[in-house]
Amino acid sequence: MKIAVCIKQVVTREWQLRVNDAKTWIRDQDASFELNEPDAYALEEALRLKEKHTGEVVVCSAGPARSAQVVREALARGADRAIHVESDALATADAFTVADVLAGAIRDEKFDLVLTGLQSDDQGFGQVGVVLAEKLGMPHATIIMEVQASPSTGSGQGALRVKRELEGGWFQWVTLPLPALLTIQSGINQLRYATLKGIMAAKKKEIRKVAPASSGEPSQRIVSVYFPEKGKKTQMLPGTAAEAARELVKRLREEARAI
Amino acid sequence: MILVIAEQRGGKLNRATWETVAAAQQAGSPITIVVPGSGVDAVATEIAAAEAAEVIIVDSPALAEYTADGYVTALAAVIGEVTPDLVFLPHTYQTRDFAPALAARIGRALITDVTAIKKDGNSIAFVRPVFQGKLNADVQPAGPAPHLVTCQIGAFRADSAKTGSSAAQTRKSSVSVDASAIRQKPEAPFKETKQAVDLSQAERIVSVGRGIKGQEHLKIAQDLAAALGAEIAASRPICDAGWLPMDRQIGSSGQTVAPKLYVALGISGAIQHLVGMKGSKTIVAVNKDPEAPIFEIADYGIAGDLFEVVPALIAELNK
Amino acid sequence: MLMDRETLEVDVLIVGGGPAGMSAALKLSQLQKERGGAPLAIAVLEKAREAGAHMLSGAVLDPSTLRQLVPDFKEKGAPLAAEVRDDRVFFLTRTSKLKFPITPPPLQNHGNYIISLNRFVKWLAGLVEAEGIDIFTGFPASEVLYEGDAVAGVRTGDRGIDKHGDRKPTFEPGVDIRAKVTIFADGVRGNMTKALVRRLALDAGRSPQLYAIGIKELWELPKDRLPPGTVIHTMGYPLRMEEFGGAFIYAMPDGLASVGFVAGLDYRDPMFDPHLTFQHFKQHPFTASILQGAQLVRYGAKALPEGGWHTIPRVYADGALIAGDAGGFLNSIRLKGIHLAMRTGMLAAESAFDAVRAGDASAARLKGYADAIDRSDVRRELYPVRNVHQSFSYGLLAGVAYSGLSLVTGGWWYRDPMPAHAGYERVAKIDEYYQDGKPDPDIPARPAKIDRQLTFDKLTNVHYSATRHTEDQPSHLIVHDTEICRTRCRTEYGNPCTRFCPAQVYEMVDAGDGTKKLQINASNCVHCKTCDIMDPYQVIDWVPPEGEGGPQYEGM
Repeated sequence: MKIAVCIKQVVTREWQLRVNDAKTWIRDQDASFELNEPDAYALEEALRLKEKHTGEVVVCSAGPARSAQVVREALARGADRAIHVESDALATADAFTVADVLAGAIRDEKFDLVLTGLQSDDQGFGQVGVVLAEKLGMPHATIIMEVQASPSTGSGQGALRVKRELEGGWFQWVTLPLPALLTIQSGINQLRYATLKGIMAAKKKEIRKVAPASSGEPSQRIVSVYFPEKGKKTQMLPGTAAEAARELVKRLREEARAI
Repeated sequence: MILVIAEQRGGKLNRATWETVAAAQQAGSPITIVVPGSGVDAVATEIAAAEAAEVIIVDSPALAEYTADGYVTALAAVIGEVTPDLVFLPHTYQTRDFAPALAARIGRALITDVTAIKKDGNSIAFVRPVFQGKLNADVQPAGPAPHLVTCQIGAFRADSAKTGSSAAQTRKSSVSVDASAIRQKPEAPFKETKQAVDLSQAERIVSVGRGIKGQEHLKIAQDLAAALGAEIAASRPICDAGWLPMDRQIGSSGQTVAPKLYVALGISGAIQHLVGMKGSKTIVAVNKDPEAPIFEIADYGIAGDLFEVVPALIAELNK
Repeated sequence: MLMDRETLEVDVLIVGGGPAGMSAALKLSQLQKERGGAPLAIAVLEKAREAGAHMLSGAVLDPSTLRQLVPDFKEKGAPLAAEVRDDRVFFLTRTSKLKFPITPPPLQNHGNYIISLNRFVKWLAGLVEAEGIDIFTGFPASEVLYEGDAVAGVRTGDRGIDKHGDRKPTFEPGVDIRAKVTIFADGVRGNMTKALVRRLALDAGRSPQLYAIGIKELWELPKDRLPPGTVIHTMGYPLRMEEFGGAFIYAMPDGLASVGFVAGLDYRDPMFDPHLTFQHFKQHPFTASILQGAQLVRYGAKALPEGGWHTIPRVYADGALIAGDAGGFLNSIRLKGIHLAMRTGMLAAESAFDAVRAGDASAARLKGYADAIDRSDVRRELYPVRNVHQSFSYGLLAGVAYSGLSLVTGGWWYRDPMPAHAGYERVAKIDEYYQDGKPDPDIPARPAKIDRQLTFDKLTNVHYSATRHTEDQPSHLIVHDTEICRTRCRTEYGNPCTRFCPAQVYEMVDAGDGTKKLQINASNCVHCKTCDIMDPYQVIDWVPPEGEGGPQYEGM
C-alpha cells in the first residue's frame, strides 16, 4: 500500500502561551516544538499498515523550515521518504490553504491511503484532512479508532473497514473503497520509539522540498487571539453550607446558565 | 438568510439543533432550517416550532443512514438552491465528519467549534477556542457567501432559541441524492465502554483534589457529578494515588478541558492543574482554604468544607 | 535478562551533548579534515529531547575557547546575547546594598559575553550536525560497558518499561554502543562518570568534590529597565556568613534578564532551603525594584562542581576520557566553566583522535590528555584558585581573605590541598544546630511570602521549567532505603531532601498511621543532581529517566 501521512509541527504542550504583539497568534519564535499528537498516531498506524501489507509510507508536511524537525522524526520512526511543502506563511495558514498546498504536492503520487490526525493541537480546526480528501476526490472517514485494510489485488479495488468514534461511547464501522483518506484519533495504537538505527537511516532518506502552489486567498482570518477573560471577579459565596449551596445553584442556573 | 442544518438520527432530533437555532438567531434573521434524512417529517414538525421562515425537508432513502457523501451532496444542492448568507451546524461528531467536505465542495469558508458571535455593525466575527481552549480566537470568514459555521455543543443555550408564534412553513426539497454515488457503507452504530475517557468532550465536569482525603470519599463527588450530569475527573495526586484512573486526570500531565461547567472540589489550584482547565466557561471552586490559588480563577467560590457543601449542593440540585 | 540488543560500533563515542561534548565532536571533525585519513565514526549521546534542552547556566562566557574552536563564530551566527558593558558587585544586607568600589578581578567581565547556554549549545549542535556527526537526542547512557577494566563503550537506557518494571508493548532495549574511545562529558555529577570513577578508583588521592546548586529564572523586564550587557553579582544577604554563594543578574536584549542564585551545597543548617533563599533574594528591595512589573518566563536549577583543581579525578582510563563539568573543570571564583568545558572537550578530542589513529586507546596513551591539560590554559587558570572554595568552608571572611590573597600568591597555602569535607558531611544534625527548640521539619525555618508574581512556590516554578517525563515509568530517583527517611533522617536532619530539591520531587506525606512516608514525584525532576549530592546518608542514586524526559530550558 502506498500511504501518505500528513503531519504538523506544533508548540509543545507545556509551552507557556503568550500572545504576540500583533495579537494575531502566540509568540513562538523561540518555542519548543513537537509533532502534533494525533499525527503521531496517524504515522504509527501507517507504519503498522505498511508492516502488515508491505508498501511505502511517505510523510508530508506543509510548514515553515523548522517543520523539518518533525519530518526527520517521522523518517526516524520508519517513514520511507518525505515531502516538505516549505513556506513561513504556512505556520499560521488556514485549513483550506494548507489542504490546498498538500493536495498540490501529493496528487500526482497517487496514494492508496492518506492519513492525517483528526485535528491539530494548536488551531484545532479539524478540517485539513477532510478538505484534502475532497480536493483529491477521495472518500473519507473521520475520528478513526481502528483500521482494517484489504488492499487492492489483481481482481479488485482495495477497501477499508474503519471504526469511527461517535459521541458518548458510541462507535460505527464503515466500509469505503481505496483510495481513501482517514483522520486518526489519538490512542488508536501505541507509538513506537525511533531507534538509533532509525535515526541514522533517516539522514539518508529523501526529503523532497516543494514550494507551495496555492491557488487562492485564505478562507478565513484570525483577527485576534486572547486569553479567555475572567471579566468578573470571583464571587465568593458566604454563609452556611446550605446557604452557599442554594445561592450557587441559583447563580449557576440564572446568571451563568451553566445548568 | 441564515440556514440551519438540523441533525437527527433514526428520526430523533438531536437537541444540539436547538442550540444551533439559537446561535443562528443571534447572528441574524430570517432563519431557514434544513432537515436531511429519510422519513423525517416528525423531526421537521418538531423543529418547525422555532421562529423560522421555513423548514425544508431533504428526504431521500440515500440519507436514511448518515454518510459523508450523502450529506455533502444533499446539502451542497440545498445551499445552491436557497443561497443563504450563513450556514450554521452543530459541532457534533457527525458534522465534523462532513462539514469540511461540504465547505470544500462549494468552495466556501468554514469556521468550526464556535462559542460566541461578535457582531459589529455589518461585520461579524466568530469566537472559537485554540490551543485546546487555553486561548480564544476571533475569526472572520473570507471569500463569497455563504460562510459555514459549526457551533460548539453547549456554547449556545437551547432554551434561548426563539419559538415562532405559529409553526414555520414546511416544504419538501426537490433535491435528490444518487445512492450509488455514495462511497461510504456504514454499519449500525454500537455502544462500547471506552477504554479511555475523552474528557474534552464533556460539557460538565466535577473534579476532585487532595481535599477529598480518601478514596472512600469519592462517592460524594460522584453523586454530585450524577446530579449535574457531569463526568468525574481529578487533579494529579488523586490519579497518582490510584483513586481514579489516569485518563481522568486534568492538567499538564493529563487532559486539557474547557467545559461549560467545571466544579473543583478540594483542589488547591496548582498551576499544573490550572493549565488543564482554565478555559472552562464557568468555574466553581470549593476549598477549605480561602487563600487557595483556585479561587483566583473561579467564577464562584465557596470557602468551606466540601463534605458539607457537596451534600448541600446535591440536595439543592435535586429539588 | 537475555535479550536481543543492537550493537553500534563507532570510533569515538561522546556521552553528553553539552558544551564539552559538542566541542569534542566539532574538534574531531576539524582534526579529521586537517589530518585526513579514514573517516572517523563519531556519535554523541544526549538524554534530552533536543540539543540544549537540559542546558542551564547564568551565563557569562569567556570567548577565548570559542575563538580557538570556531574563529569565525560571528559569521557563523554564534548567539552571543550581549557583550558585557557594565560589571557591578554588591554586598547585600537585609534592607540595603553596598557597591564594591572596584569589581574584584575574578568578577571583571570585560570582553566577555552574556549568553544563554541553551541557545549556545543548540548553535554548537547545528555546527556538529552540519559536519555529518550523529547527535542522538533522547538517548541517555545507563551503563558503562567494560572489557575487563577497559571501557568499551556504553549501553543506552531501555525504553518502554512501566512503573512496575514490566515491559510495555512498545519496549525497546537499550543499544550497546562500542567505541575505541569514549569521552565522558555527562555534566555535573554525571551518572556515567560517577560509576566510572567509583569502579576504577579514579578519585584515589583526590580531594572530595564540592558542589553548589544554581537556581535560575529567566525574566522579561519592562522595556529599558536594564541595559543589555549589565552584569550584577551580589554576596551577603540572604546568605549568612557561614554560607557560600551569591546571586547574579545578567541583562540581555529585548528585556530578557537571567536572575539566579548559587548556594554552596555544604551548608550546616539542615533546615536550609536554597529555593526559599532565592525568594528572599528576590524580595530584597534592590532585586524587587528590578523585577517590578516583570514576567517570569522560565525556571530551572542545576548543580555546579566547585571543588576545583584538587577534586578533579584522574581523567583518563583504558578507552575513556572525562571532560567538562563531569570532571569538575569549573573556575568557582570566576564563576566560569563553559570555556573550560569546551577546552577540555577539544583536548579530549585530540587525544581520542590520536589514539584511534594509533590503534591504541590504553590509559598509557590517553594519559596524554591529562598532560595536555597540565600544559594548557586550563591548569593556568584553575591551579591558582585550587583552594578558594575550600577556604569558604571556614566562613565568608576567611574565604574572601584567602581569595584576595590567592590572587597575589597564586593560591599558596601551607596545607595544600586545603582540607575540606564533602558537603553532605558538613550538614549538622538538627539537635546540634538548633539547640534551643527543634523546628518542625515540615515548616520552613525562614519562610518567604509567596505571591506568585515575584516569588513562587516550588511547584509553580517547576511548571516554568516545562519539565516532562513519561508518567508510566519506574522512578529514576532510586532511594535505596526509604525506611531511613521515615525514621533516622526525620529525627536527625528533618528530611532535608524536601528542602534542597528545587523541584519538590521529595515530599513526606501521611502514611495513614500517624507517621510520615516518603513520596517521590519523579516527574517534577529537573535533573539538577542535588539530591544525589546532598542526601546525608548517600542513599539516593539519580539515574537517567527514559530518554527525552526532563526540562525544556528554552533561553536558559
